Amino acid sequence: MANPNLDTREVNMISAEFAAQPQPVYRELVTKCPFARQVVMGGPVLSRYEDVLWALRHPEIFSSEMEMHMALGTERPMIPQQIDPPAQTKYRKILDPRFSKKRMQEIAPAVRRHANELIDAFFERGSCEFDREFAVPLPCTAFLSLMGLPQSELPRFLRIKDMIIRPQTLMESPTMEGAQALRKEAGRQIYEFFGNVIDDRKRRPGTDMVSYLLETEIDGQRLTREEILDVSFLLILAGLDTVTATLGCNVAYLAANPAQRRRLVEKPESIAGAVEELLRWETPVTAVPRIVKQDVEIHGQRLVKGEMVTLLLGASNVDSAEFQDPERVDFERERNKHLAFGGGPHRCLGSHLARMELAVAMQVWHERIPDYRIEPGKTPRYSPGIREVQYLPLVWDRA
Amino acid sequence: MKIRLEPARCTGHGRCYTLAPNVFDADDEGHCVVVAEEVPPAHEREARAAVINCPEDALEISGE
Repeated sequence: MANPNLDTREVNMISAEFAAQPQPVYRELVTKCPFARQVVMGGPVLSRYEDVLWALRHPEIFSSEMEMHMALGTERPMIPQQIDPPAQTKYRKILDPRFSKKRMQEIAPAVRRHANELIDAFFERGSCEFDREFAVPLPCTAFLSLMGLPQSELPRFLRIKDMIIRPQTLMESPTMEGAQALRKEAGRQIYEFFGNVIDDRKRRPGTDMVSYLLETEIDGQRLTREEILDVSFLLILAGLDTVTATLGCNVAYLAANPAQRRRLVEKPESIAGAVEELLRWETPVTAVPRIVKQDVEIHGQRLVKGEMVTLLLGASNVDSAEFQDPERVDFERERNKHLAFGGGPHRCLGSHLARMELAVAMQVWHERIPDYRIEPGKTPRYSPGIREVQYLPLVWDRA
Repeated sequence: MKIRLEPARCTGHGRCYTLAPNVFDADDEGHCVVVAEEVPPAHEREARAAVINCPEDALEISGE
């Protein structure tokens, strides 16, 4: 239904308030303004489940091939995230088997071990800053192990990741130019580092990702050095930040909702359902961008060829047209086709890795520390875009 | 109960073989494989859960 009075309604997706609690904004958008505009740059925003899913499933209209000024420090598109089918399909065919559910289950014991070690370090203290001491380091272990890299590389990757994803936080007086320069420098370091890894694996092949990419063929052709670098770049950006953010969102929610937390502790078999439901409710990756390839009309508005449209995954996940009683967080929800991992051909490559890490982390954490709360007087701080809870002080009784 | 899969729609979310491991399996890429097209009554409940939770709407119940 077109409503010309609402079409200029602006969404501020970069405010701290939105990052901390986006659901009320989502509700407004889904019910009153399914075609909104972003405060910054003014691009169109789609929020209804049906619209978001439709866009995700039609890459011929909604392209992932971003213009290079949108680039996150890369010289070329990241593979396979920033290219469209049919080329994208070929890359997914060789990458999906490396990220299958079965394969990810194989590294679950290592993740479990690391989760326990992290908790050992602060358990007796009766408090921790959850982001820095647990949520950030945990996913990095899995990433480094998949890439066949020593855990000693951890600090380097964390810094590079932050230079790209949130450069503002590393600058004394943040500017757009400064941020872009930091991203470029991080990009250069990634290309250089993985260039060296490629040379090393050529001499001494292993069972890691880069060795696999070196020996894999697409249509009878080996991958080029650039292609391997472009995959590696994506794995760093996508593999380190998203699970960190999701762990923070989940634990912050459970710390603030003790009845839900007790349910989880008393019924550990509900963890799988809780992981799905919190992915829906929190949707840590709030949105994905697409470039419009041909003019198309929606809700009486025109999407114009070449413009960037934001698909608000988080809003689609609280749309009552798809979800029964969407404001209720229900770990036993019967039907939960949330779009937290996107959908269509670009469905998150790492979704099985993420689900395994989240389930293992939730299980280990609640076995060890079933009763915790946010430190009295303190407020968690969420970052916009990817909702990492960058400050999450927790306390618990040790007895 | 019978299950029908539209393979072109599947993108490998894996909800089906997670929720109904007796009815579905994964191929190497993690896409859906129906192992029990004719679902035995004991597994109908999980099969139904898988069908209604497929984010790509790739599954349907084709006969009861």
